[in-house]
Amino acid sequence: MRLCLQYSKEEEARFLSHLDLMRAMERALRRAQLPLVFSEGFNPHLCVSYASALAVGVTSEGEYLDLPLKGDWPAEEAVQRINAVLPAGLKMVAAVPVTQRRESLMAIINLARYRVEIPLRQAIEQKEAEEMIAQVLARPAYSVLRRGKKGERQVDIRPGLWQLQGWAENNKLILHIAVQTGSQGNVKPEEVIEMVKDTVSFSRGENFWGENIRIHRLGLYIRENDKIYSPLERA
Amino acid sequence: MQQLKQVLEEEVLPKVRKPLRYLGNEYNAVRKDWQAVKLRSLFAFPDVYEVGMSHLGLQILYGVVNAEPDYLMERVFAPWPDLEQELRTRAIPLFSLESLRPLADFDCLGFTLQYEMSYTNILNILALGGLPLRAQERGNEAPLVMAGGPCAYNPEPLAEFIDFFVLGEGEEVILEVFAVMAAHRAIRQGKQDKKEVLKELARIRGVYVPSFYEALYDEQGKFQGVKVKEPGAAPRIVKRVVRDLDQAYFPARPIVPYLEVVHDRMMLEVLRGCTRGCRFCQAGFLYRPVRERSKDLLLQQAEKISEHTGHQEISLTSLSTSDYTCVEPLLQEVLNRFEGKNIGVSLPSLRVDSFSVNLAKEVQRVRKTGLTFAPEAGTQRLRDVINKNVTEENLMEVAEAVFQEGWTQIKLYFMLGLPTETLADLDGIAALAAKVLLRGREILREKGSKQRPTVTVSVSSFVPKPHTPFQWEPQDSIALLQEKQKYLRNRIREKGIVYHYHEAEVSFLEAVFAKGDRRLGQALEEAWRLGCRFDGWSEHFRYELWREAFRKTGIVPEEIANQPLTYQDALPWDHLDTGVKKEYLRREREKAYELATTGDCRFAPCSVCGICQDLDVDTRLRKGE
Ligand code: SF4
Repeated sequence: MRLCLQYSKEEEARFLSHLDLMRAMERALRRAQLPLVFSEGFNPHLCVSYASALAVGVTSEGEYLDLPLKGDWPAEEAVQRINAVLPAGLKMVAAVPVTQRRESLMAIINLARYRVEIPLRQAIEQKEAEEMIAQVLARPAYSVLRRGKKGERQVDIRPGLWQLQGWAENNKLILHIAVQTGSQGNVKPEEVIEMVKDTVSFSRGENFWGENIRIHRLGLYIRENDKIYSPLERA
Repeated sequence: MQQLKQVLEEEVLPKVRKPLRYLGNEYNAVRKDWQAVKLRSLFAFPDVYEVGMSHLGLQILYGVVNAEPDYLMERVFAPWPDLEQELRTRAIPLFSLESLRPLADFDCLGFTLQYEMSYTNILNILALGGLPLRAQERGNEAPLVMAGGPCAYNPEPLAEFIDFFVLGEGEEVILEVFAVMAAHRAIRQGKQDKKEVLKELARIRGVYVPSFYEALYDEQGKFQGVKVKEPGAAPRIVKRVVRDLDQAYFPARPIVPYLEVVHDRMMLEVLRGCTRGCRFCQAGFLYRPVRERSKDLLLQQAEKISEHTGHQEISLTSLSTSDYTCVEPLLQEVLNRFEGKNIGVSLPSLRVDSFSVNLAKEVQRVRKTGLTFAPEAGTQRLRDVINKNVTEENLMEVAEAVFQEGWTQIKLYFMLGLPTETLADLDGIAALAAKVLLRGREILREKGSKQRPTVTVSVSSFVPKPHTPFQWEPQDSIALLQEKQKYLRNRIREKGIVYHYHEAEVSFLEAVFAKGDRRLGQALEEAWRLGCRFDGWSEHFRYELWREAFRKTGIVPEEIANQPLTYQDALPWDHLDTGVKKEYLRREREKAYELATTGDCRFAPCSVCGICQDLDVDTRLRKGE
């Protein structure tokens, strides 16, 4: 069977890179004494597939992985067992068996939501925050520089920025972002932040921004036409 | 406290490389209630996290202490220069990993002394923690600073900075030390009277309080020995030994790092000690006698660590694992039990014989890398001098087995500058490597393999170490070592042989600090002030600053490293007793010059080094039990 597990990466684990997280997860899965599945061949590795990588410093409450198991296991028991042995800051939230012949998480997930906190050097009113967001959204295009295997290239992220809301809160600008993610197109929250800063700095200046931006992923989703599903609903 | 935590997490750690080095919330890390214990201690490892977390001794002591409800132990590692920079600019004191508390909050700090080149990091940790460097400047309020580990057998260069040293195996003595410190504070409402507590500690066997002793010098400044200054202090301090490894504490729940560390695996310690008797090898004399752990216990321990860590590899560790008398059955059973869970096995230290290659073959079903062996010297004559009982036949047998079994690389360790070395011995290294390569080519050709064999020759420089038969020997000068390195490079011509050597300057400083006396502390402090840190890391090693430090403090390091000592000379470590008699070391040295070898007391008769006679211990092998 295959389980789809939702987990969170909390404050205590925020400095983990995706590689660190995978290592920690594999060790926890081994400690949980579940009937894990390994690949064939000379150098067998644990079969787990992750929906998406999370950068160092970014927390999340909606991460997903697929875990094949030998034999049938009640999803809740698997969650409990893994939670009993996970290190600080990582937590299983829920799980469902993957029933259909579903493609990999990476292939089906296409929407990511984030909450971003940007410290400001001066307080702003709610109305100002809304104006800023309107300015950002009014831009028909926004190019960012991406470094890939084939060198650098310019990418327009505006089409992949599906939603942007903002409000003022104690010297902070809070953003809620929904962006396209996955193989069809991928916009990073850092790129949206860059777009916001770039747009607003035009009137406010570079000095407007404070340090230590916090990024938190609210979830990963599957958007089909106008409907949005969580990966657990689409198992 | 809360504020410091916030500043660190919000502002400092996001700016440094690998912030996980400083977090202390790994799986199995212990965070105890500060108020609920009687003694708060901090294990300080004077190197970076990834190195320190690969050290079994840390896991053992951390486990032993935290298993006690009355004590807690946290950790600190040498901060990487980027964090040091951040701490200095913001005037934030260095903090413990588990509770992010400044060093000064603890009752005691314990450094482990694994290699001399970590000494500047010790001073740096103290300084960044806001503690005075010198022991006598730290008053009753400051934590007591202790140190142990192999370099504690000549701790004189650190004598000014450390309050007390502990000789021998830490798990054997640490709780006695803690009990004394805790009781001392208990009757003083949590406070300490430093002089008094040191006196109490000095009564524990294995504890050395350097301030109770005085180093004597003659008019020319020649070292004359160490004399008791404080009435009642023992004239000799004898090391502590675990008698029975089966009874010793074993860390079943070692901390599992988030970061990838140097040795990222479970460590199963199969035996302690080695009596092969290589005359240059300090570990061989410090950790006598050989004590094996029984196979069944090891299997139980493997199950437990595996359950509590989730590691994918078990390492069977010791100074020489092929020497474990039950190694084959142990290996078989470990492989049987863990194969289904896809847990691999590794053998870190292989003897030069085909038996060891067979063991390696068992554990590496996929022949990933090559194998490493240490013939140490290039000719039979020199191998007899150092008592390395390896013959050319042994090595060729190994080469044959390695290439036959499908590896294509072999790495050979040698040492330059060994006593009595001549050019013929260097030629011998080149010739051996060439012979191994040739054999490799033949075998691979016979097998119809398209691959080419590689032989890596890795050469370090001989460092005379205290408590070994070669403790009286001089080290070759840096210039001579470099000349030999160059000579050897020119002798190694074949494509297919890779040649590496260690920086001679580092080996020189190792010899200086291994053999130096108390005066060296000044040079150490000066070097640290000038900015020396992480001297064991070539990217940070600054030899010119060390030269400047010696110049400023009027110390001539060549006199320590490059001059022979006579049997009449007082040695800075004469008052520290490993259990092996000085007479025995002297006899071994004389045998070296007679090209006479000494057998391993596990198989040959006891050669009466003194330890079993004096310390009430014995060699414990498990075969046939
Ligand atoms: S006293 Fe004898 S048996 Fe014991 S370690 Fe020394 S040489 Fe070996």
